[in-house]
Amino acid sequence: MFILTLPLNKHSVHVFTTGVEEEVSTLQEESERGGHRGKRRDSDRERKRRRKGRGKVASKDSGEGEEELQRRLEKRERARRKRAKKEQEVQGRERNEEEQAEMTSGKRANTRKNIKNDKTRKMEEGEGEGEAGERNTKRKKKHGSAKNDGKEEDGGEHTVKEKVQEVKKKKHEKVVEASSEQETSEEANEAAAEEDTQEEEVRPESLSPEELEKLKEAVDERKKLIQSLRGKPWPMKKKLVTLRESQEFVEKYEGALGKGKGRKLYAYKVMMTKKWMKFQRDFENFKTACIPWEMKIKEIESHFGSSVASYFIFLRWMYGINLILFGLTFGLVMVPEALMGRPYGSIPRKTVPRAEETSAMDFAVLWDCGGYAQYSVLFYGFYNNQRAVGWLKFRMPLSYFLVGVGTVAYSYMVVIRTMARNANESGVGDDNSFNFSWKMFTSWDYLIGNPETADNKFASITTSFKEAILEEQESRKDDNIHLTRFLRVLANFLVLCCLAGSGYLIYFVVRRSQKFALDGLENHTWWERNEVNMVMSLLGMFCPMLFDVISALENYHPRVALQWQLGRIFALFLGNLYTFIIALMDEINLKEFVRLIISDTMTTYIMLLIGDFLRAVLVRFLNYCWCWDLEAGFPSYSEFDVSGNVLGLIFNQGMIWMGAFYAPCLPALNVLRLHVSMYLQCWAVMCCNVPQERVFKASGSNNFYMAMLLVILFLSTLPAIYTIVTIPPSFDCGPFSGKKRMFDVIQETLESDFPAWFSKVFSYASNPGLVLPFILLMVLAIYYLQSTSKSYKEANVELKKKLHAQNEENKKKNKRAALKAQMDLEEARTAQGAAQQQETDGEENRGRSQRLYHGKNGHNPPPPIGDQERQPPATRAPVPRPYHHGNHRTPGYLPGFSGQSEPRM
Amino acid sequence: MVSPAIALAFIPLLLTLLIRYRYYFVLFYRAILVRIWKDCVTGLSREERAYQYVLTTATPGDPDSILDAFDVWCNKVEFISNIGPKKGKILDRMLMEQGPLTVLELGAHCGYSTVRIARALPLGARLYSVEMDQRNAAIAEKIVRLAGFDDDTVRKQKYLTYSLYIKCIHFILCIEYGKYYTTETSTLCVLKVELIVNPSDEVIPRLRSDYGLDRLDFVFMDHWKKSYCPDLQMLEGSGLLGKGSMIVADNVLFPGAPKFLRHIRKSGLYEWKIHRATLEYSKGIRDGMAELVYQGIK
Repeated sequence: MFILTLPLNKHSVHVFTTGVEEEVSTLQEESERGGHRGKRRDSDRERKRRRKGRGKVASKDSGEGEEELQRRLEKRERARRKRAKKEQEVQGRERNEEEQAEMTSGKRANTRKNIKNDKTRKMEEGEGEGEAGERNTKRKKKHGSAKNDGKEEDGGEHTVKEKVQEVKKKKHEKVVEASSEQETSEEANEAAAEEDTQEEEVRPESLSPEELEKLKEAVDERKKLIQSLRGKPWPMKKKLVTLRESQEFVEKYEGALGKGKGRKLYAYKVMMTKKWMKFQRDFENFKTACIPWEMKIKEIESHFGSSVASYFIFLRWMYGINLILFGLTFGLVMVPEALMGRPYGSIPRKTVPRAEETSAMDFAVLWDCGGYAQYSVLFYGFYNNQRAVGWLKFRMPLSYFLVGVGTVAYSYMVVIRTMARNANESGVGDDNSFNFSWKMFTSWDYLIGNPETADNKFASITTSFKEAILEEQESRKDDNIHLTRFLRVLANFLVLCCLAGSGYLIYFVVRRSQKFALDGLENHTWWERNEVNMVMSLLGMFCPMLFDVISALENYHPRVALQWQLGRIFALFLGNLYTFIIALMDEINLKEFVRLIISDTMTTYIMLLIGDFLRAVLVRFLNYCWCWDLEAGFPSYSEFDVSGNVLGLIFNQGMIWMGAFYAPCLPALNVLRLHVSMYLQCWAVMCCNVPQERVFKASGSNNFYMAMLLVILFLSTLPAIYTIVTIPPSFDCGPFSGKKRMFDVIQETLESDFPAWFSKVFSYASNPGLVLPFILLMVLAIYYLQSTSKSYKEANVELKKKLHAQNEENKKKNKRAALKAQMDLEEARTAQGAAQQQETDGEENRGRSQRLYHGKNGHNPPPPIGDQERQPPATRAPVPRPYHHGNHRTPGYLPGFSGQSEPRM
Repeated sequence: MVSPAIALAFIPLLLTLLIRYRYYFVLFYRAILVRIWKDCVTGLSREERAYQYVLTTATPGDPDSILDAFDVWCNKVEFISNIGPKKGKILDRMLMEQGPLTVLELGAHCGYSTVRIARALPLGARLYSVEMDQRNAAIAEKIVRLAGFDDDTVRKQKYLTYSLYIKCIHFILCIEYGKYYTTETSTLCVLKVELIVNPSDEVIPRLRSDYGLDRLDFVFMDHWKKSYCPDLQMLEGSGLLGKGSMIVADNVLFPGAPKFLRHIRKSGLYEWKIHRATLEYSKGIRDGMAELVYQGIK
């Protein structure tokens, strides 16, 4: 049987629970019976279909189309006949059952069609209730007349069903009206008539213009609802439900608007717009997915706040730069040399000396970048000074030189461009003028998605408020400033001592290592051989910790403290590096450099594993059997050290820049290191670190990193430029050996590879007489631009001030207006109250009654009318206020009160 | 052979650790080294020494001076993990606000917190103080007696109260209302402190049967941090906690009771917050007091 195949809807079940058991049995009964039931079944099917049609005005079943229409016509006829018969017949018990079955099945069909509308229905039920209730009674009446012995429960079920229909009809108000009219007027033929009207509403083609208009309005309303949903003060659940419903509604009925060909086109257009939007969204998602490590960083950001995330973003940025540097060196130097240069062993500079050959493949030697590693494309000693290599006549020395210069130039460009962009973003903001407002409205970091971090953030905001209040008080008191100053000076002094100590230690160690080198490294232990690297790495690791402890003395805001910390670590690293270079200056040892970088990397990783991971493991698992809470108390988990890590990164990069000219392998090494760092640190930070206690936003510190990077870049290119310009290349200087100066390769190329006029032009262009004015012009241009931008900035600030003043003025105006309105209101009220008073009370005890009245309601006691005359004109705001206050106070605190509100007659 | 230069490079680390954890080192020195030394020298336990000091300096019958004497001793001489003056003030405030009538204290130690709580209780309240250690309990009893929250005096007055109560009704019926009522109530509602020398996990299940309690208004926990969680669960199971019952646990951050905190977070039976403070008689070690208000099963 057709109806039996329909799935029972959840909603229908719980709405019509009473009918369900009966229904099943009756349906079975019915299926056993044949013959005259056919009609009924047909009518059922017909009803079902009608509802289906109603459920989806833009009916999907266009495939069924005309056939459907024919069938429907037939069925309608039959149904009419049936209903007429039904009217006349006196029905037996059997009939009752049938009726029930019919209704319930109808309901089933109905509910199934309305699965989507169910929720809307619920929402609208509230409104529909009254109307539905009214209609219910009508229905009952009708029902009773239709089936002479209609059961009560049947009626009940019926009403529920009708209610469902009701709500649906509400969407198509016109239909509702029409059908209801019909219901009231011709009760006998009601069902058939209703069928007709509903049949009409089913097909969009058959809708009249005004119906269409209404539908359009409804669709527009839904669209508006979707747009404004975000601002609605509803719970999220309701919002989601409403959104889904509205979207479905719009989707369903939007296509129905328009007529004939236009309709199809319209539907097509709508569909295409939707597809296009979806594509755009997907494309955005795809773009985000393409950014490497984006999701990882976002996750970290949600756990640790933006300051930690800024480190990883910085790391990623650095990785990108190194990738480009690596691409340059690899593509233009290493690959051509490996492909086209002379192979290993062909010339002395490409061969490991016989004395070293036995140990050249030992790991220890390779680790120190000796042996085969030294005689490879990794170091520039391997490259031949041959002017052109291979069948392509690749100018190797020139390429090498230009790549070296290009690397540095590119780095400068990128850093400066980023700085400029950051500076633009930061805008003009004054942090000082609305301290508390800023704190109030902008403290929260909305990227936090972890409860623990949120707790921390909450706590830190609270503390910052407390501190700010204290600060405000302090600034007014203005005592203790001397102590703070003293402590800050003391802290800086201590830091300086540390720096000097570490500098001296490095100097000492480097000198000692030179002595070892003279003795021959084989005679010394591993510790002694690696002393320099070890000491430098250890100092670089521990001194920042000490600075951190010392900086607690200074009592700065964490953002300021972070900058100080960064500055100090910067000084430390720089000092150490330069001590190292100066102590080595007479024989810059390239191998030493690479070793330093490698050992630095290794110490970072080892410290990560020991300091973070091991500690976390110990804290976590020893906590079960320890006498105090290790997690919350003493060792605890480590925090992520943003400043140390950033500086580590920056200095590492500085060393890469410094050495990249002499060892083309360095960018490759750095890429590898950064890649590993990314994964390792991401893992470590998520697995062993806890969010910082004072989570703060990193905005503004980015440019600080960049500035540091710029300084480092400058300082690290200095030695390279110095050597290029001043020192004549030796035999070991690979591509440049045999030349007076390294930059001679350019001259050589100009002379031999370019036409004579070009070199002439070049020599003219490089004439100091031409270069100097050019530089002067550039300086002037820079100065001009600088001053213009400054004036713009000033104008901005002025504008801001003006806006501010305007705002203040407006506020004052509003306040005045509000005050006036309030006063007017009060006046009116007092007048009214007094009038009442006069009616109820005698004049003698008015004072007392006023007092009582006030005590009860807490309202302003109504003064007598006589008072009103003496009141000042309403335009003068401040005058009634003391009066008002006085009235408020008097009843509570002054028992023997005889104030102004006392009648004076 | 490790070179000396590498060893020198570790100096900053050493300094860092020393400075960062100085409070812990000081605490270690005061709470453990000094204690062992004095134990050997005097032959008395730490609590006994504290009692001696209090006895010599404080005014008997004046709880404030006794508390002050304790604070001075713990600050200047040795370290005993009492609740301390700072966190004590928070506790006082909570007691004043709550005004509990039945109070259970777990871990009396040497009576400091008992006196502190008893001082802040309203008239007619009862305080049950549980201490596991016999010797400490003896000292706590002496201290309580010294402060005047004595059990014996209470018992003596108990009979008195009944007779007075009858008298009081008589007065109310017969004689002038205000005058006598005010004079009589002060003796009528006497505070009672009862010391129970037993481990807390044995006492809690028997509170209802042996002590006739049916509801605890206020519970203060300051005993073994490990037993915070099981004891709390036992209290929940015993049905002594009613809606609005307050539980205060000291030292939840240092030495810390992670399981306890986890439990209160998870169970959802409480409205809770942690008052952040520093460890008693120490400035730099952070500690917290958990304040729980029992909400019952929702």
